[in-house]
Amino acid sequence: MLSYISRRLLQGIIVLLGVSIISFVVFQYLGDPVLSIVGKNATQEQIEEVRQDLNLDEPFHIQYLLFLKDAVQGKFGKSYVKERPALNLIMARFPATFELASTAIVIALTLGISLGVFVSIKPQSFLSRIIMAGSLFGISIPTFLTGLIFILLFAVVFGILPPFGRGETVSLGFWRTGFLTASGWRHLVLPSVTLGMYSLAMLLRLTKAEMIEVLSDDYIKTARAKGLRSSTVIFKHALRNGLAPVLTMAGLQFGQLIAFAIITETIFQWPGMGRLLLSSIYNNDRPIIVTYIILAALVILLLNLLVDILYAFLDPKVQYD
Amino acid sequence: MERLNFKTTAVLVFALMFIVGAAFVPGLAQNNDKIVVGVSSPPETMNPHGDDSDANLGVMADIYEGLVKRVGAEGEIKPALATKWKKMSPKKWRFWLREGVTFHNGNEFTWEDVKFTFEHLANTQVSDFTSFGKAIESIETVDGDPWVIDITTTRPIPYFLSNMHQIFVLDKESTENRTPGEVAAKGIGTGPYKFVDWEEGSYLELQAYENYWGEVPPIKTAMLKPIVESSTRLAALLTGKIDIMFGVPVQLYQSIKTNPKLETITRPSRRSIFLGINNAEDLPTSSPKVRKAMYMAINEGEIINTLMRGHAKPAAQIPDPPTFGYNPDLKRMDYNPEKAKELLKEAGYEDGFSITLWCTTDRYIQDEQIGQAVVKYLQKIGIDAELNAIPKAMYWGKLKDKEPNFYMLGWFDGAFSFTRSALKLLHTPNADKGYGVWNGAGFSYPEVDALLEKSIDMTDEDKRLETLQKVNRMYMENVAVIPLHYQQQIYAVRKEADVNFTPRPDKWPVFWEMSFN
Repeated sequence: MLSYISRRLLQGIIVLLGVSIISFVVFQYLGDPVLSIVGKNATQEQIEEVRQDLNLDEPFHIQYLLFLKDAVQGKFGKSYVKERPALNLIMARFPATFELASTAIVIALTLGISLGVFVSIKPQSFLSRIIMAGSLFGISIPTFLTGLIFILLFAVVFGILPPFGRGETVSLGFWRTGFLTASGWRHLVLPSVTLGMYSLAMLLRLTKAEMIEVLSDDYIKTARAKGLRSSTVIFKHALRNGLAPVLTMAGLQFGQLIAFAIITETIFQWPGMGRLLLSSIYNNDRPIIVTYIILAALVILLLNLLVDILYAFLDPKVQYD
Repeated sequence: MERLNFKTTAVLVFALMFIVGAAFVPGLAQNNDKIVVGVSSPPETMNPHGDDSDANLGVMADIYEGLVKRVGAEGEIKPALATKWKKMSPKKWRFWLREGVTFHNGNEFTWEDVKFTFEHLANTQVSDFTSFGKAIESIETVDGDPWVIDITTTRPIPYFLSNMHQIFVLDKESTENRTPGEVAAKGIGTGPYKFVDWEEGSYLELQAYENYWGEVPPIKTAMLKPIVESSTRLAALLTGKIDIMFGVPVQLYQSIKTNPKLETITRPSRRSIFLGINNAEDLPTSSPKVRKAMYMAINEGEIINTLMRGHAKPAAQIPDPPTFGYNPDLKRMDYNPEKAKELLKEAGYEDGFSITLWCTTDRYIQDEQIGQAVVKYLQKIGIDAELNAIPKAMYWGKLKDKEPNFYMLGWFDGAFSFTRSALKLLHTPNADKGYGVWNGAGFSYPEVDALLEKSIDMTDEDKRLETLQKVNRMYMENVAVIPLHYQQQIYAVRKEADVNFTPRPDKWPVFWEMSFN
């Protein structure tokens, strides 16, 4: 197991290197960051001065190596616009995104699995048909539309939930949390449901498919024939075996939700990392963009590893060495 | 080329559903000393020199002050940290500083702060205004009186005074003792509002400064909330989370106007939209006749009525009326495709030629759509035109490299100076002198350039104005650019907030100019 984990971590480092090279290459073609730093009234001379200050006059591979040298020491450069370390700026926005994404994945997992099980047991019932039709909407309606409809219905028409923002937050060290206030929870409802909608629908359909497959297996028939209670058969025997792929998918989805909550954050003006990324792209603020992408890759890598390890506990047949 | 645009679709869907929602706007109790403004672009930094965008400067104008300030709907220059001033020579300005002013941290305002401000301004690491900062030769007290200073510039800057309202004065001591990052995170100025709290992406809270040298503003608590998505911003207004909505998209205007609880306020924006053209000799567009034909082919009235939904005014030149150098006698050439075809024929291009119009997709109101329309108008008179619409992040670099031969740009001059605009936009590009930086197609008309340069040194303001208006006319008669229109600013206010709000020409959210009715 240990050797497996260390091998995976090693692979992870190679992937991160790849990601950093790609993001570096891509942003060479995203326009000249110097122009957005010096302002539109700068002369050629001032532009060159800034270019030298930022090492942007060096050839590409030197720029990359300089970046790498600092990055391994945890220094990801300073935001061109905000004049503060990119990593700090991103970490200050991380709690908002993390709380949003984790609430979304909890909603998606609990509802997705329970509804999925229900649908698999009673596939013919009227309610099941409605749930399955609803899940199609969840997969096919784009996030920004769901978000806008929610805002219109629950904030404007019924006036029961706030339309945007994070509400009151409490600072626990560097972590600003919205989990500890009523206002924080109220503000969390619409964006987290919006964000989790797609994952919910997908996990639901996956659970249903897995359950239907498992429920037709011989050992389930045997269990039923033995006269075990139906709930024991479903939850203890069937669900546990059907859950493994669902959890894998949930882990991947969680990474996606953290890294790419941008649209939901935009619609609800949620002060998370996604919004920071977007405004940095507009401003050509390269240090933030590159740091963000590398961090996102890191989060997804770690979550994948975690899921693989969880797998071993869930299914003793899986062995890593 | 039609494609599903996220922004447009979102706005349209919301506008449709809004009609249903409008009936349900809840009544809200008003809070009588607080105003919340919802804006589309958040401030990026509290360093008043760190970002020269309006979104940032507008917020800085609440916390900081310059030697002068601009007030009211016309942007009139009024005393601020200087009580009076005098132009001593084309390169020397004298300012009498205001005594008894304190910064929000209690430090007294002195001439040292002014000197420091310009040093900070010239530092490329922390300033977007380096060219202005570097044009300062010296700042000295006059006859040892610390309340009278002379600012000498390295070259004559005719718009020196009219730019001073956006050169915000920093506290020397607290700026030097903090890292640039700390300065960028917390603002300390002399302005009517002091910085309270800033959760980036959520809100900026300001409090009226009780020791302000002038009248303490009537609105005690001022909040600025960035809400990027315009539909969400409208929802925030409808639910009473914000009191004034900045940046109402033209698509939402009608639905807001018919809502009894909301009030819309519009005013002409300072920004004009125009098309720049290359007149290099080897190109068909080198002929003024061809450029005139292109001008006459564009149905600007239709663009305003359909794409802008009436929210724009036709333009006949680049500067807007308050700009020094605006020429009231200039008129648009009439839309006349028949005449345009004739002109093309006279120039020997009756079979047309091919040309590519460059424009942004994410900078100006309906920019890409306007580009598409222009291309179609040109095709109608037989020009083989096509569109190259790209994001602004890539666009500026292309303009700087003079890659396009035909491009769209929007412009307004923060210093209200046509001298400055023309040097950047119309003068033949000259990298050494910093001229023609945004003359994206490299248009060149040396005779007028010379006249423009001559006007810089003129001390007689009347003569300078006359010369600038002539320069303006000559460029326009030669079709250096095809002017399209001035955009309109649209705001929405919640009637229950009972706030007295007059939009400024520069679109800045200035809380000290607002009050309760």
